[in-house]
Order: sequence, then C-alpha cells, then structure tokens
Amino acid sequence: MNRMPFPAKSSDRPEYSPCFPYAVRTMRDITGEGDRVLGIEDCLTEVLAIPGALDAMLIDQTSGTAVAVGGASRHTGVDDVERSAAGLNEALRATLDGLAVVSPGGTVRIDDMMVTTDGGHHVLRPLRTPFDGPLVVYVRLDRERSNLALARHRLQVLSGRLTST
Amino acid sequence: MPSVHSVHSVHDVRGVRGVLGGLAADRATGSLRLGRAGVLYLTGGRVTYAQSAATPRLEDLLVAGLGIPVGVLRRIRRAAAAELRESDPRTHDPQAGPRTGDPRTGDPRTHDPQAGPRTGDPRTHDPRARDPQAGPRTLGPPVAGGERLIAAGLLTRGELEFCVLSAVLDAAYFLLEAATGRARFRPGERHWLGPQWHVDVTGLLRECERRREQLERTWPSPELDTLPVVPLRRVAAQRVVLNPLQWEVLVGADSTATPAELARRLGRPAYSVLLAVRQLASSGLLQVPASSPVPPSPAPPPSPAPDQAPVTPVVAATPATPAAPAEPAARGPLPRRARGATEIPPPAGSVRTADWLPGANGDPADVNLLIRLRNALEAFT
Repeated sequence: MNRMPFPAKSSDRPEYSPCFPYAVRTMRDITGEGDRVLGIEDCLTEVLAIPGALDAMLIDQTSGTAVAVGGASRHTGVDDVERSAAGLNEALRATLDGLAVVSPGGTVRIDDMMVTTDGGHHVLRPLRTPFDGPLVVYVRLDRERSNLALARHRLQVLSGRLTST
Repeated sequence: MPSVHSVHSVHDVRGVRGVLGGLAADRATGSLRLGRAGVLYLTGGRVTYAQSAATPRLEDLLVAGLGIPVGVLRRIRRAAAAELRESDPRTHDPQAGPRTGDPRTGDPRTHDPQAGPRTGDPRTHDPRARDPQAGPRTLGPPVAGGERLIAAGLLTRGELEFCVLSAVLDAAYFLLEAATGRARFRPGERHWLGPQWHVDVTGLLRECERRREQLERTWPSPELDTLPVVPLRRVAAQRVVLNPLQWEVLVGADSTATPAELARRLGRPAYSVLLAVRQLASSGLLQVPASSPVPPSPAPPPSPAPDQAPVTPVVAATPATPAAPAEPAARGPLPRRARGATEIPPPAGSVRTADWLPGANGDPADVNLLIRLRNALEAFT
C-alpha cells in the first residue's frame, strides 16, 4: 500500500506521537477504523478486505435470506447460496435458543459465533439494526492466513460503521 | 401530473406475479399500482420500493426505529417529491429516459448466478453514477429523498438501505398475497426516496414464497392473522424463551390490536409481527379461537419456526391450558391401587384368559409355536 512517509495533512497527524507515523498509520489500517459510514454493499467489501477472508455473506435474520454475497460463494448457484444462508441463520438461532436456557438470567446476546472446519474459520456476527431482526454477517477465513482476533475486531468496528445506533 | 395517456391498464389472468415478471423482462421503470392494496416501484426492471396498505410505511419504521422527528421527515419528503414532479420526464417521452437508462443495471444480473435480492452495482449508490437513469432534463439532477435524509445526518446509508430492503420485502409479501384483479402500470413514475436498494423480481417472488412457507410451518392457520392478539394470563410451561420481537408483541398487545395494528404501533414490519404472533401461538402463549387447529404436533420440532423457544416442545403439546388435564382423562382414569393387590387389573376391554398364562388367540404363529413346544416337551420324556 502506498503511504506517505509522513502524514500529509495536519488533521491526519496523531497529536500524541508525531515520531511514529508508520506505527500509527499501520495500526489504523489493521484495525480498519474509518470515519466513512458504510452502505450494505460497502460493508461486504470491507468484510472481504479482512486479511484471509475467502467468502462473505450478509443474511437477513427475519427470513434467512442472503442480502448480499461476495467472495467465492458468488460463483455458486442461487439455490446453494440461499440454502447456506438459511442454514447458517438457523444455526445461529438454534445456538441462541440453547444458550438462553443455560445462561444465568435466561437472556443472551451473541456477539459472534465461530466454527472451525478444515475449510477454514467461519465467523457469524449479528449486527443490530434499528428496524427488523438483525443482519447477520458471515465470513469464511483461510485457516493459514487469517487471524481470528483481528477478524473479530474488524467485524466489531464494521458494525459500528454500518449503523449509527 | 401524470396524464391519462401514460396509464397502462393491466388486466391479467397471470396475476400480479405475471405482470411483475413481464415488467422485469422489459426492464421497465415506473410504478405498478395494485388498486387500493398498494404500489410497487420499479427501476430498470427491479423493485426499488413497495408500499402496502397492510404494512407500516417506511416513514413509520424510520420514526419508530431511529426516532427521526415526523415533521422533519415530512418536510424532506415534500421537498423531494416537489422536485421530482418538476423534473418529470413524462412531459417528453414517457419511456425514453428510464427505460434506455442504464445498461449496467440490468445486464450483469442476468449473467450473475447470485441473483438474490441485493444490489448489482455499488456505483448506483452514488448520486452522480445514477445520473443517466434520471431521464432527460434541462435542470440539474433532482436530489432523491434518500440522499437528502443522509445529507441531513438523520441516518446512515446502511440504515437507509436496510430499511428500504425491510420495507420492500414486507410490503411485497402482502401485495402478492392479496390477489387483486387490477394492476396499473405508470411508466416513469418514481418514488420520492429514489432507488436506494434493488430487489430482483425473481428473488422477490422466491422470498415471498419462502415467507409464506415459514408462516405455514410455524402455525398453519391464518385465523390469528386478523384477530386481536390476546396473551394468556397464565402459562402452563415452566420456562418461556422469547425473542425481542415476541417480547415487544406481548408488551404491546392490549387484547384489541390485531397483528397489523401492532406492527404499525411498534414500527416493526408487519410480516415480522405476524410471524412472531404465530410463533407465540404455537408456543401456547396466546388465546386461540376454539375452532383453531391443534398445532402440527408430530412434525415440527426439527425445522420449524426458527425463533421458537426451546421450551416449545413442552408447550406445544398443550395448546390451550385446559386441554392438558383433559388429555389423560380421554383415555379413562388410571387404575387405582387397591390395598393388598398383587397384580395390575387388566385395562378395560382387553381379554385375558388365565392369570398365569400369556394371552393367546388364533394367530397361526402362536399355534405353530405351541406345536413346536409340545413336540420338544414330548422329546424330553
């Protein structure tokens, strides 16, 4: 990535540490924090920009339909995508139901859910929306090239940028 | 204002679905009005907005979900609608601009195997990129209502898109379910919000079908859909798990509001509320009319109503509270143990020959067995 050796604009310059522009800029790159507010399609692009991301999908939780699809699953058939969206949605819901009973107090809110297979890490994250049931982000990560902690962090930042609430 | 000559009257035996399919194939832009039921807006053959009399409007969702003041919303809508009217391309050729519009919007979708409801082209979010679709004009492009809302800082683009998606899927479900005979297509008519999110017609029809099936699976009777929602005062289950929308429905239910009214009051999509109501009914938390069918007891546990609480198997077995004690009674009272009794009295109706022999009848298998047994015993002696 092409970066200026020093911050070009004064607004970019971190006030606390002018000596380490590299470190600061790279941290910002890694964490994926940005000011721009995202649309749904941009959100998918950002998910696919997570290091090691192979597939991504946004699922409407009310109906389990795939709202947007990107990465390798773009090339699979419509039916397969719909089926996997419905299945993943179902898995998340079943987990919620199961956890609700064992959780103290009986209420539960899932931040994210991960499944590791030989095909990679699968991360599901419900994003709260102010209107309907949440939108669920699904991403499949390469086992060798990805970092789960980083991916979780990126997804968390993303959800803050998709909605303001 | 739209002149009469631009109104196409569509009488179609294929119904609304067929008309929609035809418009999608033509990549039509305009509004499809289905009598009093509502309107669908199309842009380049894809549905960009839908409004149904049975569902809360997008404005309601925005007010309830984001707390946007009603007055502000109305002002923006008026401004956008007025500008749209001024720049109406139908004063020239009704079909020139939008239909030839933008080849990008239609073409990639037909080759794209992933044709589910989603945008084809992120560039359409950019007001400038949408310019060619706006039709012939001498003035600058009108700023669509959606862009105005975002510019005013009332909501983010993601929220707007998701809200439009929710509203379209919600309204389309009720529009397509209510089979109205008459549909009118007005080419070129646009919604004040502008195209914020595109839904493929095929994807939309598929989604409506799936939603219908989901309702069927959850609770097969449409009886509750139009009746007031009345929660039971006491529940037989030991533990109940609710999802947030079910909670809202229960809190909002005042025994007079129907699901549609509740949806409007809560600012939630009507379909989601309907689904929540049916789920609550199948969990045995609502009063159901006496003639209502018993929920499909043997079938449901594996796939059904995803939101169903884990306790539902318990609850579903007892649809109405009084039914629970009544069920064993139907099979007759349990035998009472008598003092000093050493054997269980036979259930009424069964035939027992002798106390110490197993029951036997004329079954050839039994007879054969007895013969072999006798032969074996005789061989002993």
